[in-house]
Amino acid sequence: MSVYLDYQSSKPVDPRVIDAMLPYFHEKFGNPSSLHSVGDIATEILEESRSTIGRFIGADHDEVIFTSGATESNNHALIGYALRSRDKGNHIVISEIEHISIHNIAKYLERNGFVVSKIPVDQFGRVSVGKLAERVNGKTILVSIGYASDEIGTIQPISEIGKFCREKNIAFHSDIVAAEGLIPIDVNKENIDLLSMSSNDIYGPKGLGILYLRKGIRINPLIIGGGQEAGLRSGTENIPAIVGMKRAVEIMQQEMNAETKRFQHYRDRLIEETLTRVPRCYLNGHPTDRLPNNAHFRFDGIEGESLLLSFKEKNIEVSTGSACSSKTLEPSHTLIALGLLHEEAHGSLEITFGRFNKDGDVDAVLGVLPDIVSRLRKLSPLYKEEAKS
Amino acid sequence: MKSTQYSEKVLDHFRNPRNVGTLEGEDVAVGTVGNPVCGDLMEFYIKVKDNRIEDIKFKTFGCGSAIATASMITELAKGKTVDEALKITRQDVADELNGLPPIKMHCSNLAADALKNAIKKYKEKQEPLSKQRIAPEEQKEIAGMKQFRGRGVYEEISDLSLFKDKRVMILERGERSIEIALKLTKLTPRVVFVTSEKQLRPGTMSEELVESSTKILYESELKEIRGLNTVEKVLMHDMNEDEEYELFVDSIVILRNE
Repeated sequence: MSVYLDYQSSKPVDPRVIDAMLPYFHEKFGNPSSLHSVGDIATEILEESRSTIGRFIGADHDEVIFTSGATESNNHALIGYALRSRDKGNHIVISEIEHISIHNIAKYLERNGFVVSKIPVDQFGRVSVGKLAERVNGKTILVSIGYASDEIGTIQPISEIGKFCREKNIAFHSDIVAAEGLIPIDVNKENIDLLSMSSNDIYGPKGLGILYLRKGIRINPLIIGGGQEAGLRSGTENIPAIVGMKRAVEIMQQEMNAETKRFQHYRDRLIEETLTRVPRCYLNGHPTDRLPNNAHFRFDGIEGESLLLSFKEKNIEVSTGSACSSKTLEPSHTLIALGLLHEEAHGSLEITFGRFNKDGDVDAVLGVLPDIVSRLRKLSPLYKEEAKS
Repeated sequence: MKSTQYSEKVLDHFRNPRNVGTLEGEDVAVGTVGNPVCGDLMEFYIKVKDNRIEDIKFKTFGCGSAIATASMITELAKGKTVDEALKITRQDVADELNGLPPIKMHCSNLAADALKNAIKKYKEKQEPLSKQRIAPEEQKEIAGMKQFRGRGVYEEISDLSLFKDKRVMILERGERSIEIALKLTKLTPRVVFVTSEKQLRPGTMSEELVESSTKILYESELKEIRGLNTVEKVLMHDMNEDEEYELFVDSIVILRNE
């Protein structure tokens, strides 16, 4: 059995969630659009799930649209809102460290006549309202800022950004995937108008997510068909997955508090010990305003993929922002936005804790990390022993 | 195929790389190659006797396949004549390793290039250079300098606390610029020191700067300052690789020449 420390990439479905889903594959297989009693059972659980999931983020049940996941929700929020609001303006603001889906959707919108501005972040990865204010103008229709970075774990000042957008009468979208289940989120307190959330990131099944749409915010549908989800997202509802997400939310409401305390303890110990034991090692992201389960390091003179492979040899699964492990061979745009050079962005290690980690997992990492780093540094032309601090 | 799905042979060379290290001596030539896209860097040391590669060592900063291909090529090249070694291609290296993920073929290219570069250096040593390269020392204009003066660009420093927790870039302008860089490291975790030289002029403060958390960019020049209302990023020129890239910074210190 390996030690899994990459919860940011994928989470196992909680067995309690699977139990809740099972009857909906065979016994309660109805289509909510059907008018007979088998269909009624499906309608009932669909609407109950919508209410439960909505409550988790402070939303009313008719403000929740089921989608195939957060990527679809992001597409729907940005493209759907931009197309609907074309008469009001054509300018959209995002940050330099948004998730790749937001960056690529923004590029798509640019090719289709919209103008996109990107807010630079500070060295800890924080977006400032000041830099946002410099960028909005009379044509700005939408601001999209992720709640927290899935890579470096920095949490954004969402309430302040939401308040600013509300005052300027600009719609505010936030992708909460990295933060959901780790931080309590309330769309009303934080003035969020559109929000993307995934099921898997709270230990529900993959292939499901929601788009929260504040009452009064109008968007165009992207998937057109039989008119499900108030005509905004057609296609027969994925009832087993929806039931799974509902159960995942219920469990999260019960356990989030204790769980995040446990992660924070792991995180703080890992960060403190790593920075003490390994020379020329740095923490990426914000020292305090960071997700409770995220530790993100960089090491002078070594490259992330070799780091990842070395951990793999020891049966420890971790992640890296190295270009060599990416599809495009580009270094992480988030690390570059922090002000790092390419060679520095290559030497990163991301560790994210989750529900099924045990106390010994931090020891497992600390037991091998210093040796792995020192072995790779011996191979490296960039790291001279005498330069040790 | 995923970029990290490596053959057992690649993993073997990654776990136990052959011929790691450096060589010294009159008959040693060093070849260096960096791949700017991937950020990999390789150094090869060859010792040539009677036109044959008698010994070869390497160091590499890079992904698993970069390490494995460097290790592999040292085995392929050892004992060959320099002309035979020049014929080793990236395909040869990949084949010897039982294949590489397609996206990683550039890494093995790097190993072959680095070896070729070392051999080129060896050949150059045999016939001394006729022309001596002289780097002209000229003060080039930095685009955006005027626009951002006082908006993130500082030519004189009176209050260091201005830079607290900012990403500060400081250009080499003699001893005083090093002194300021050292002071800044106590105020902010990110200080970038830019020099057009290959190394800093020897001195206690230079040594201290190298030892500090300051990121020193050697053989580099600042080309352009960019931002909306204030400094947000810069365009840098790596003179060694002749490459340009953007770097996010908040403040830039460019002292007037002493």
